[in-house]
Amino acid sequence: MTRLVLILALVLALAVPAQAARLLSQLSNDTVEITSSFDGERMTFFGNIVPDAGATEKTLEGPFHVIVVVIGPTQNRVARQMTNNFGIWSNTAQVEFLNFPSYFHVLASGRLNEITDITTLTTNNILPESHTLVVDSNDWWRGAVFGQQLVRLMTEQGLFGVQENGVNFLSDNFYSARLTLPSNAPPGPYLALTYVFKDGQIIARKSEGFAVRKIGFERFLALSATQQPLFYGLICVVLALFTGWLGGVLFRR
Amino acid sequence: MQIYLPIAEMSVNLFFLIGIGGAVGFLSGLFGVGGGFLLTPLLIFSGVPAPVAVASVTGQVVAASTSGALAHYRRGAIDLHLALYLVLSGILGAFGGVAAFDLLREAGQLDLVISLGFLILLGSVGTLMLIESTRAILKHRQGVVVRERLPNQHNWIHGLPMRVRFKKSRLYISVLPVLLIGLFIGFVGSLLGIGGGFIMVPALVYLLRVPGNVVIGTSLAQVVAMMAATTVLHAVQSQSVDILLAFCLMVGGTAGAQFGASAGKYLRGEQLRGLLALLVLAVAIRFGLSLVIAPADPFSMAVVGGLQ
Repeated sequence: MTRLVLILALVLALAVPAQAARLLSQLSNDTVEITSSFDGERMTFFGNIVPDAGATEKTLEGPFHVIVVVIGPTQNRVARQMTNNFGIWSNTAQVEFLNFPSYFHVLASGRLNEITDITTLTTNNILPESHTLVVDSNDWWRGAVFGQQLVRLMTEQGLFGVQENGVNFLSDNFYSARLTLPSNAPPGPYLALTYVFKDGQIIARKSEGFAVRKIGFERFLALSATQQPLFYGLICVVLALFTGWLGGVLFRR
Repeated sequence: MQIYLPIAEMSVNLFFLIGIGGAVGFLSGLFGVGGGFLLTPLLIFSGVPAPVAVASVTGQVVAASTSGALAHYRRGAIDLHLALYLVLSGILGAFGGVAAFDLLREAGQLDLVISLGFLILLGSVGTLMLIESTRAILKHRQGVVVRERLPNQHNWIHGLPMRVRFKKSRLYISVLPVLLIGLFIGFVGSLLGIGGGFIMVPALVYLLRVPGNVVIGTSLAQVVAMMAATTVLHAVQSQSVDILLAFCLMVGGTAGAQFGASAGKYLRGEQLRGLLALLVLAVAIRFGLSLVIAPADPFSMAVVGGLQ
């Protein structure tokens, strides 16, 4: 009975927004260009929490919490486990995760468990683990174990992360968040989802896109490798033969 | 100085790449091997994805072996006729190797096969070479004059049908073992990302009894042609040849190969073979240990299919 009352209260709380708010936000750059000297890029997300259009109040009373979720292009990824068979270590089990983000960083203005509850975090895919729940296998336990390991591996590569001090409030309503994209950030379309919380509830949200892409010579090389593979391969060979010949000529004594 | 590799999609230090290219190039010039069996593991350990490392190293091996092959060609130390047979069968083997490479990568067993392959091949070849060269060195110390090749010292392999005369090597032998060696090295080379010089040289010396003065040149010529074909195959099949990565390695490799080739003149054949044997055994032991020692992290990940 008490559980039913709780669920009812939760539904009501979700249905009625705590406060009508709007988020005015901006990214420091909407494209990240990969050049030959690309060594990562620093990005800044900033925004202002203002009353909704048509609202009577001039300003909103905090305290607010902001979570910025940055998601990279998705890929199909497998997690594999090695086991020892007859003295030799080899990959024996693997679980495939379809449409798994290649990059996922969460920036928050405080500890996630103090900002809101676990249900809101998981239903909005704010936790890295929430992406590992979609596994095309009936063996959910194995999926959970491998998913956790996959998140750990991605975190070690700097591709996944949660920074609970990543968002700073400069005034009551104005925040900024900093993110350093690593040099191994995969190129493609990125999404920055910003959630504004008050008293554990989402009162405003906004999504913005930006792109990480190769430009100039790097783009030309990557395109020719996939679109003209035969020609590309032949150029590689000619370059190799030429370099080898030139080396012989230059160093001949 | 960092440089971004467009196919590997990561940035690495330019001087590190040129440095390892140069070091491996020196050894390749010294021993007449492509150096792929050192370079591919080095790149994988430094974080380059295994498919990109294997495919790009094939390009580098072409460059490193070209300068060596040309140097031997000028000295007239290449049996082109013999090399042609080896190359043609090698390219056939490379087709099979590249296809097997793709299948194993999908199944997640590529690393295991690479480790096992290196262990078995390098271990057995290295041990044989070490025994032979130690014996030769000991005999040399005792003052026994060993003739480079005894006339009519043929084994049963030479007696097989379809005999062909290789003038430069002063051989009149069956073409079947030649084709088999080429086929095997083409397959293994494209699968493991190595030129196969360290198998080719002993195979030519011990199986076919090719005289020492043309062995290394012929092996290098074969490596150039076969690895060139493998580079194109990898570029078409897996699209994982990083031309920038390959070029950085080439620059270091060609310079290093020149110094290696001139350093090689100061060493006798059996000494060279002994040193190469030690090197080969060291790499084999390294791979063997990775198979039996518990990995620091039993879990690994890989991307299947490309970006969407």
